[in-house]
Amino acid sequence: MSIIANKDTRAVIIGGIAGLNAARRMAQFDFLINRPLTVQAFVYPPEEGQQKEIYRGGELNNVTVYSSLEKALEENPQINTALIYIGASRAYQSAKEALDAKGIKLVTMITEGVPEKDAKRLRKYAIETGKIFNGPSSIGIMSAGECRLGVIGGEFKNLKLCNLYRPGSFGVITKSGGLSNEAMWLCAQNGNGITSAVAIGGDSYPGTDFVTYLNMFENDPETKAVVIVGEVGGTLEEEAAEWLGKEIRRIKVIASIGGTCQDVLPQGMKFGHAGAKEGKKGLGSARSKINALRAAGAVVPDTFGGLSKAIKQVYEELLQTGVIKPEAELDEKLLPALPPSVQEVMKQGDVIVEPLIRTTISDDRGEEPRYVGYAASELCEKGYGIEDVIGLLWNKKLPTKEESEIIKRIIMISADHGPAVSGAFGSIIAACAGIDLPQAVSAGMTMIGPRFGGAVTNAGKYFKYGVKEYPNDIPGFLNWMKQNVGPVPGIGHRVKSVKNPDKRVKYLVDYVTNQTSLHTPCLDYALQVEKITTAKKDNLILNVDGTIGCILVDLDFPEYSLNGFFVLARTIGMIGHWIDQNNQNSRLIRLYDYLINYAVKEEREVPEKKQTT
Amino acid sequence: MAKILEGPAMKLFNKWGIPVPNYVVIMDPDRLAQLGEANKWLRESKLVVKAHEAIGGRFKLGLVKLGLNLDEAYEAAKEMIGRQIGTSVVRQVIVAEMLDHDEEYYLSIAGNRDGSELLLSNRGGVDIEDNWDTVKRLVIPLDETPSIEAITEAALQAGFVGEIAERVAKIASRLILCFDNEDAQSIEINPLVIRKSDMRFAALDAVMNVDWDARFRHADWDFKPVSEIGRSYTEAEQQIMDIDARIKGSVKLVEVPGGNIALLTAGGGASVFYSDAVVARGGSIANYAEYSGDPPDWAVEALTETICRLPNIKHIIVGGAIANFTDVKATFSGIINGFRESKSKGYLENVQIWVRRGGPNENQGLAAMKKLQEEGFEIHVYDRSMPMTDIVDLALNS
Repeated sequence: MSIIANKDTRAVIIGGIAGLNAARRMAQFDFLINRPLTVQAFVYPPEEGQQKEIYRGGELNNVTVYSSLEKALEENPQINTALIYIGASRAYQSAKEALDAKGIKLVTMITEGVPEKDAKRLRKYAIETGKIFNGPSSIGIMSAGECRLGVIGGEFKNLKLCNLYRPGSFGVITKSGGLSNEAMWLCAQNGNGITSAVAIGGDSYPGTDFVTYLNMFENDPETKAVVIVGEVGGTLEEEAAEWLGKEIRRIKVIASIGGTCQDVLPQGMKFGHAGAKEGKKGLGSARSKINALRAAGAVVPDTFGGLSKAIKQVYEELLQTGVIKPEAELDEKLLPALPPSVQEVMKQGDVIVEPLIRTTISDDRGEEPRYVGYAASELCEKGYGIEDVIGLLWNKKLPTKEESEIIKRIIMISADHGPAVSGAFGSIIAACAGIDLPQAVSAGMTMIGPRFGGAVTNAGKYFKYGVKEYPNDIPGFLNWMKQNVGPVPGIGHRVKSVKNPDKRVKYLVDYVTNQTSLHTPCLDYALQVEKITTAKKDNLILNVDGTIGCILVDLDFPEYSLNGFFVLARTIGMIGHWIDQNNQNSRLIRLYDYLINYAVKEEREVPEKKQTT
Repeated sequence: MAKILEGPAMKLFNKWGIPVPNYVVIMDPDRLAQLGEANKWLRESKLVVKAHEAIGGRFKLGLVKLGLNLDEAYEAAKEMIGRQIGTSVVRQVIVAEMLDHDEEYYLSIAGNRDGSELLLSNRGGVDIEDNWDTVKRLVIPLDETPSIEAITEAALQAGFVGEIAERVAKIASRLILCFDNEDAQSIEINPLVIRKSDMRFAALDAVMNVDWDARFRHADWDFKPVSEIGRSYTEAEQQIMDIDARIKGSVKLVEVPGGNIALLTAGGGASVFYSDAVVARGGSIANYAEYSGDPPDWAVEALTETICRLPNIKHIIVGGAIANFTDVKATFSGIINGFRESKSKGYLENVQIWVRRGGPNENQGLAAMKKLQEEGFEIHVYDRSMPMTDIVDLALNS
C-alpha cells in the first residue's frame, strides 16, 4: 500500500527539458515494476505538437507535448496528477490551472525559487478545492512498487538498492530532496524498505506538511513507522510533534532535525533551503523541534548518522511484536536490467553493428581532427600548407614541395575571372537579392557544368585515355574522339588563338615544364594534340581547363576529382563577389526591358474555359 | 529572505505613501554640500548621519551621529565614509532629517503561512522589547485587506486615541499595501514618530525584508539585498557567490573563523546535518559549504580550492547523502582536481580528508577519490553503507 501516488497515478508534466529528463527517469521505474507509463502528456507551449521519446525499458513511447493543460486533459482524461517543472515566474499560474482541472487530484511542484506569496496562495487554494498541493522545491514522491513522481530515488541501480520495486513498512517525509533518497536507503538497509516517501520541499511555506502525510500514513495499514527529516525554521516539525502527542498513534515516528549547529554559526545565517532560518525566541530552532518530538514520543537520535540504528531498532521491535511479518526477499537477480544503449553494449563488445557509412580520409573522434591519420595541428607545426590538406583529403597523399607549388598556382589563377562569367554572375544576382552567403555561393556553384568550368575533369580524362590508348597516334585519338565524344574537351577558346595566346596557359606550361622536375606525359600529349588542331583552326588551342586537367592527371589526382579544383578555386572568388556586393549594399537586380527580346504573342482576350474537348 | 537597507526601504515607503523623513544617500561628502544648496531641509533641520551598510551595532561603533547641522553632518559623513569595520568598508551614508517629535510608536507587519500579522504599539522606540505585552495584533488572512475601521479599532485597542488613532490606522493600511504589493516578508517601523504641533508623522527607522525570489515581477527593485549573515561577505564568499550566480545548480560558502573542521558537503539538507554532527561531537566548524543540483565540476573545483585555503584546518568532511541526480563522478572529479591543485600550492599539509557519498556513478566517483591515497593524500573513503554523518565521528576520534 501507499499514499498519494499509486498504481493508478497518471501524470502530466508541465515544463520543458527538466520535466522531460524526469519523465525518462520515471519511465525507468515504470519498467522496473512493469507498470504502464506514468507520464502521459507534457504541457509546454514552445514545443507544442512535438512528440517526446520516452523509453520504458526497451519499449519506445512517444508522448505528446500540448500547448495547454486543457488540451492535454481533453485528449488524456485518465490523467489525475500534475508535475510542475516550469520556471518560477510561471509556476503559480500553471499550478493554479492544474488545481482547477477537474480530473487532477494531486499537484506536485518541483520548481525552485517560487515566491512565498505564490506558494501560500496555492496552499490555500488546494485546501479550498480539496486537493493536494505538494512543494514547491520538492524532489518528488515515491511509492515503492507502485509509482514514482519526479527524479526521487536517483539512478536505476539505486532504485534496486533501496528495494523500491516492492513495498516495505516505513513511510518517509522530508523537506530535503537529497535526504529523501538517503532516508529511503536507510529504511531498506536497516528495515524492510518504504511504502511511500514524500519530499515536501525546503521552502518557508510548503503546500503540504508533515501532518498532512502523517495522517495519511496513519490511515495506511501497511505503513508501520514513519521517518521524518526536518530542519530549523518554521513550525512544521513542532506541529508534527503535536499531532503525535495528541492521541495514541498506530505508527511509530522516527525523526532527525537539522540545524542544531545554528548556535555557533553567524547569526541569521541562511542554510541551503529557503525555509531554514532562525525562529524567534527559540520556536522554530532545531533544538525546540527535537525537544517537542522527543516529548511526544518520537525516536530522535542526536545526529543524522544515528538514524540507521534508530530505524533498525524500531524495525526489530516491530518484528518481535509481530506488527511486521518477515517476508521472503525477492531474488534481486530476477529484477529486470535496464536495456543498455547501443553505445554501451558496443563498448563491452557484445554486439556487432553494420556501419552505415565508411570513411577513409578523416577522423575527429580524438582531441583534434586527423587527416588520413595526421593530426591537423602537427601538419601546421611542421610547415605543411593547404595544398597538402587537399592532397591528403582528395588523394590520400602528401604532395612534394614541387607538387604543392603547382597546386597552389592552379588555384591562384583559377580563383576568379571577373563578374561576367556565369558562376560569379549567379552569386552576384543572389547577393543583390539579399540571399545569405552560403546560398549565394551555391547559386554560383550550380552554374558549374558542361558549359562553364566543368571541362577540367573531362579534359584530364580523355587526354589520359589518349596517352594510354593512342600513345603515338594523335590522329587516331582525334578520330576516336570525333566518333565517340565530339569536340575534344580542353581544346578551343572563344577569343584566344595561336596569335593571341592565353597567358595563363603559357605561364602554367612554362612553370611546370621549366621550373619543376615533374614528369608530364599527359600535358605533353595535349600539347601534341594542340599542334594538330591549331593547324586546322587557329583558335583550337589547349585552353586553361585542358592545361589544368592534364597537369592534375600528371600529379596523379584521380580524374573524377579534377573539377574539384575549379570548384574550390572559384569558391574563393564567389565569396569575394558576395562580400563585395554586401559591402556596397547593392540593390535587387532586374533586367532592363531592352535587354530582353519579348517574342511573345500580342495582348489578347482570355477565352471561356472549354467544358469538353 | 532578503534584508534591504534603509534607503531602498524608504524609497518603497514613499512609493506607498508611508511618511518618511527627508533623506539622501551619498557616497561622497562633497555631494552633501551641493545637495545642501538645493534642499532647504538640509540647511534648516537637525540631521542624523548613519552608515548605510549592513553593519550590526552601528551606534556603538560611532556610525550613527545625531543632532547635527549641515557642516557637522559633512564632517560626520567624511569621517564615516571609507572606514573599515571588520571585513566591511563603509561606502555610503544616509543623511536624514531628525524630526523633533513628541512620541514614538511601533508598527510592523510580518508574513506567516496563512497571511500576515500587523503589530501596533504606542510605546515604540528602544523600549519596545520591555513593552511587548502592550503590542496589539491584527491577523490579516491571505489576500484580504482589512477595512480602515478594523485597523482603527486595533489602533484604539493599542491605546491610540482620537485623530492619532485614525492617522496611525491610515499609515498602517498603507503599510499593508506596501507589504502585499512589494512581496515583503516583514517590515518593522520603529520608531514611527509624531510631532503633534503639525501632526506630522515619519518612519524614522525601518527594517524590511523582501522575497528575493519575487524580483522577476518588480522592475523597480534597483537595490541588492544586504548580506544575510550579519556581516559583509569575505572575498572568498563573494567569489563563490559570483560563481553560484552563473551556474546551473549551486555552490555556497560561509566562513566560520576559528574552526578546524572544514565542510565540503553536498545538498541543502545533508550539509546542515554535517555541521550539526561536528558541533554535536564537540568539534568546531571552519565553514559551512554546500554544492547541489548537479553543478559543473569547475564550480565544485573552485569551492574545493577555497575550502582548502581555510586556515588551521585539520579535517575536511567531503560528505553527502545519496544523490538523486547530482553526478558523483563528475562533481568528485572537480573536488579531486581542487585537492591536487591545493596540494601543489602547499595546502592540505597534515589535513585528513573524510569522504562519504552515494548517487549516480557513485562507484567511479568513490574509486577515483580513493586513488588519491596513492598520491600521498590522507584520505578515507566510504560508500553508502557508512551512516551519513558517522565520518564526522571517525574524523573527531582519529
